Amino acid sequence: MSFLNLALMAMIVALLIPLYEAWRDEDIWQTMLSLSSVSSKTAVMILLVSVLRDDWMVGVAGVIILSVGNAGFMLLAHILKRLGDS
Amino acid sequence: MDNYVYMITALLPLAAAMLVFQVNPYHALVIRGMLGAIAALVYTVLGAPDVALTEALVGTLLAVTLYAVAVRSSLVFRLGVLQEDLSDAQDHIAPDVTPLQQVVNGLNTVFKDYHLRVELISYFDRDALQQALMNKEVHAICERGSVVEAREAIAPGVPDSSAPDSCPPPYRTTTRLRRLYDIMNSELLSSKTQLSYIDHAAAGEVVS
Repeated sequence: MSFLNLALMAMIVALLIPLYEAWRDEDIWQTMLSLSSVSSKTAVMILLVSVLRDDWMVGVAGVIILSVGNAGFMLLAHILKRLGDS
Repeated sequence: MDNYVYMITALLPLAAAMLVFQVNPYHALVIRGMLGAIAALVYTVLGAPDVALTEALVGTLLAVTLYAVAVRSSLVFRLGVLQEDLSDAQDHIAPDVTPLQQVVNGLNTVFKDYHLRVELISYFDRDALQQALMNKEVHAICERGSVVEAREAIAPGVPDSSAPDSCPPPYRTTTRLRRLYDIMNSELLSSKTQLSYIDHAAAGEVVS
């Protein structure tokens, strides 16, 4: 129990790294990398919380958010790529 | 309530402040995606997985994609050019050295600060180009000025081998928007074009 709590704290601190990178960087693709990092990290954190509380409904929400985040990331990346081509 | 809930909740205003203070619209869209992910995390931890799911599906996926399309189609500077000039630039071996490409590069540099992108639209002849400007299809047109006449007016009888800095700019950029003319007039450094502004309401009045 205590170990999972510590792991969650470490993940919260790790979540600050891509946020700082997105705030600092000028390149749009670096910002997209930060978005992918944040999106995956939050989804895994939701799964960890679901294990911590033994709550399956939260776990299902975490799985759906994890998969949908990747789909949205690909859509946004395609639009931004078209922007760079033209 | 557990300790980590407070820490996770503190991430939300942090991401929101990042979004508010971002000036580039595209970066702001990507940071909106991050805000959506963190908001979904906070809603889940606070015990509302249905709200989190809605935020992830609608707030992040749909809204960000729709706004990206909207920003991409609205923040654009449409420049009408002649087809022959464009094909000249494409046939050239090193396209960076053609005068039209230099003009476009200069415009790109100027409008990068305003987060506009320059889009070239080609027309077949000069009449179609002028008509497109009047019909508000393009924001500005860039056409080859009458170099020979201008050179004759400056120095009659001087052959073409005169020094390059003494000859007039080969292109003439005309815009129908006062604000764009002010921006280009103050910041465009390209020597390959001269600028002019045409008032659409009183068509025909040209300020050079």
